[in-house]
Amino acid sequence: MEKIFKKRVIITVLAVGLIMWMGLVPSLAQKPVTIKFAHFYDPAAGAGHVMNIEWLEKTIPAFEKENPGIKVEFEWTKWDEIDIRSIRDYAAGIPHDVMMSSPQLMPKHFIAGDYLDLTSYAAKWPKARAEDINWTPVWGKVFPLGIPLGIHTRTTVYRRDLFEKYGLDPGRTPEDLESLVKYSRFLTRDTNADGKTDIWGLGMYFGASRATIELYFAPYIWNFDGKLWDPETKRASFASEAGVKATRFVYDLVNTYKVTPEWATVGTYDEVGLINFLNGTYAMFTGFGSYWIGPLEEKGWVTGIFPPKSWGKATVADVFVAATKPHAQFTNAWALSINKLSEHPDESFKLIDFIVTPERLIDYPDAGLPTLLSLWDKPELQTDFYQEWLKAAAHGKSMPYTAHYGELADTVAACLQEILIKKAPIEATLKKFEDEYNAKYAGE
Amino acid sequence: MERSRKQESSRKGGLYILWEYKLPYLFLLPSVILLIFFLAAPLVSGIYMSFQKISLRGISEFVGFRNYRLLLGEARFRNNLLFSVLYVAGNVGLSVPLAYAAALLITGKLRGIQFFRAIFLIPFIVTPVVSAILFRSMVNPSFGPITALLEMITGKHYIILADSTLAMLTIIGHSFWRSFSFIMLFLAAGIATIPTELYEAGKVDGAGAWARFSHITFPLTKIHLTIVLLIITMWTLQDAETVYALTQGGPGYSTEVTAVRLFKDAFINFNLSYGATIGVFLLMMSAVFMIFYFKLMGGAEHY
Repeated sequence: MEKIFKKRVIITVLAVGLIMWMGLVPSLAQKPVTIKFAHFYDPAAGAGHVMNIEWLEKTIPAFEKENPGIKVEFEWTKWDEIDIRSIRDYAAGIPHDVMMSSPQLMPKHFIAGDYLDLTSYAAKWPKARAEDINWTPVWGKVFPLGIPLGIHTRTTVYRRDLFEKYGLDPGRTPEDLESLVKYSRFLTRDTNADGKTDIWGLGMYFGASRATIELYFAPYIWNFDGKLWDPETKRASFASEAGVKATRFVYDLVNTYKVTPEWATVGTYDEVGLINFLNGTYAMFTGFGSYWIGPLEEKGWVTGIFPPKSWGKATVADVFVAATKPHAQFTNAWALSINKLSEHPDESFKLIDFIVTPERLIDYPDAGLPTLLSLWDKPELQTDFYQEWLKAAAHGKSMPYTAHYGELADTVAACLQEILIKKAPIEATLKKFEDEYNAKYAGE
Repeated sequence: MERSRKQESSRKGGLYILWEYKLPYLFLLPSVILLIFFLAAPLVSGIYMSFQKISLRGISEFVGFRNYRLLLGEARFRNNLLFSVLYVAGNVGLSVPLAYAAALLITGKLRGIQFFRAIFLIPFIVTPVVSAILFRSMVNPSFGPITALLEMITGKHYIILADSTLAMLTIIGHSFWRSFSFIMLFLAAGIATIPTELYEAGKVDGAGAWARFSHITFPLTKIHLTIVLLIITMWTLQDAETVYALTQGGPGYSTEVTAVRLFKDAFINFNLSYGATIGVFLLMMSAVFMIFYFKLMGGAEHY
């Protein structure tokens, strides 16, 4: 009797276990994997950011629909903190999955080891697909720690209507630094004769930001054949003769010719640049970036440029390649990387793979120039606007490959501020800041 | 009886006392352990890190006083220390006397005092970074009301945050605006505890308002003043967030106080060893200020 009872108990337990297991396995199999996608687009930061968020909100559901087993959650970090957040969180053991990253910080990531080497994933791409992307100037800077999303070469944006109003041919733009100064002086205007400048000939930004070295110092030191940092000696070299000439050039724009406002040293890049350009403060602004095209389209100053159309035209605002020597145009791009602590690297790469396709990147507002060669054949990118930009990309140059790039950028920005605001002696100040940097980081 | 027991305890030494009063010490033990864990351990670890060179990979190497030597050899860092002292002195020098006066005002029997209490509290409840951003827009060269006011008064156009002195005054002004209400409430609480009989007795003895203040109110609030001075000094000394949100340490490095430098080195550029070394300097500065205040207010505990 007891034996029969025991048998029944065992059979019942086994049956219940079997039923539970059968129920659990499919539910486990169906449970979607959640990956995090860290970006820096902030709806409060203006129209450019809003457009990128809208693009993400369109792209991610499309990815989830195509991959029902994968869910994507957004994480947010400020654009100039996203790379350091990855390094910091990696040191603290906090995992992330897909993260936006920048080429300038790749040496730091390389040493920190917080990003996954994507070679094995990219190796699975068919040859045609690999060649479609690896031609780009930024590919060499970000791969294998990231896949670039575009080519972000900076140009100068100008107002065609103001050129016309003051008797200049809007089809002809400055081709060297000398003519850039001439144009800037001519276009700087006090329109209501109150003794104050209302239209500045050439807008620039010299705030405490990475933008200062990238857009307003590097192109000029490169123009004068100098280097910010010497890869052989691994020392900062911005106080060289070329550095002095570059500094003298920007100093004169602000303090001698007064074609660039003094307030270019305060506030954020967006406040000083984009917002003021849209408000009609500048005739020309150097440092035009890809995220300007959305707001310009919204303002009606360009039509059919974003998203690009074959009939696209720059009506009021147009661009020209910055008037420096060839190969002196700062170029970067946003890239997508995978955090080394990611628990779902395969799924994360699937997302990258999904995004880096012609269909997705064609209307990615922050892309700048298409990273995929195949996209350049499209009729909508044959317009003068994009072709001029392509010329700029061909002249593109990246920031020096040092793990202390952030410190170098901070040092140069502070040094320029001291020279432009306090009118400190150029040579001695450059030397003082260079020495301070080298005392700590030379040889690293 | 009690006295002889104490004398005996002190003769027999610390261990005897520990054994004799083991129960109270046992009650104290969890707090002591928590203190060691959360206060002493990070402190020791921070100091230890300041003697190391930590790579981005997390590999550390003992370098002795190299970080200290490099930092002290920098004009930038020496200025960081100087700006911190200026920032603290400016904020404390401005906010403590004015908040004291306001505390006297709100503890007095004046009409409409409820209104002033509510108004004074506003800066205290606004998030620091939000108030810093608000301040930044107030001094904006194009549309800032403070800039416009200055222009109206002087007839000159100012770019406040591009001027080293004005930028420093702005961060001090912002810090004053934030600290004022806290100091005032703290001191008002102290003033309210003074028995009214003392003032009545003073009046009977013919003491005027100044005499009542200097002989009753001030001596009896000295301890509150010392505490509030310490708190505000520590807050100001360690304030990186509002200064960074307002000026990012600029123009140049002219508002880069030590806490902002620490934030930049440790959390933006991820130089942990320099960050730790700057942290040790901040700790030393706090200790110096603490000793200075206790010396300045010496005897406050007797009241």
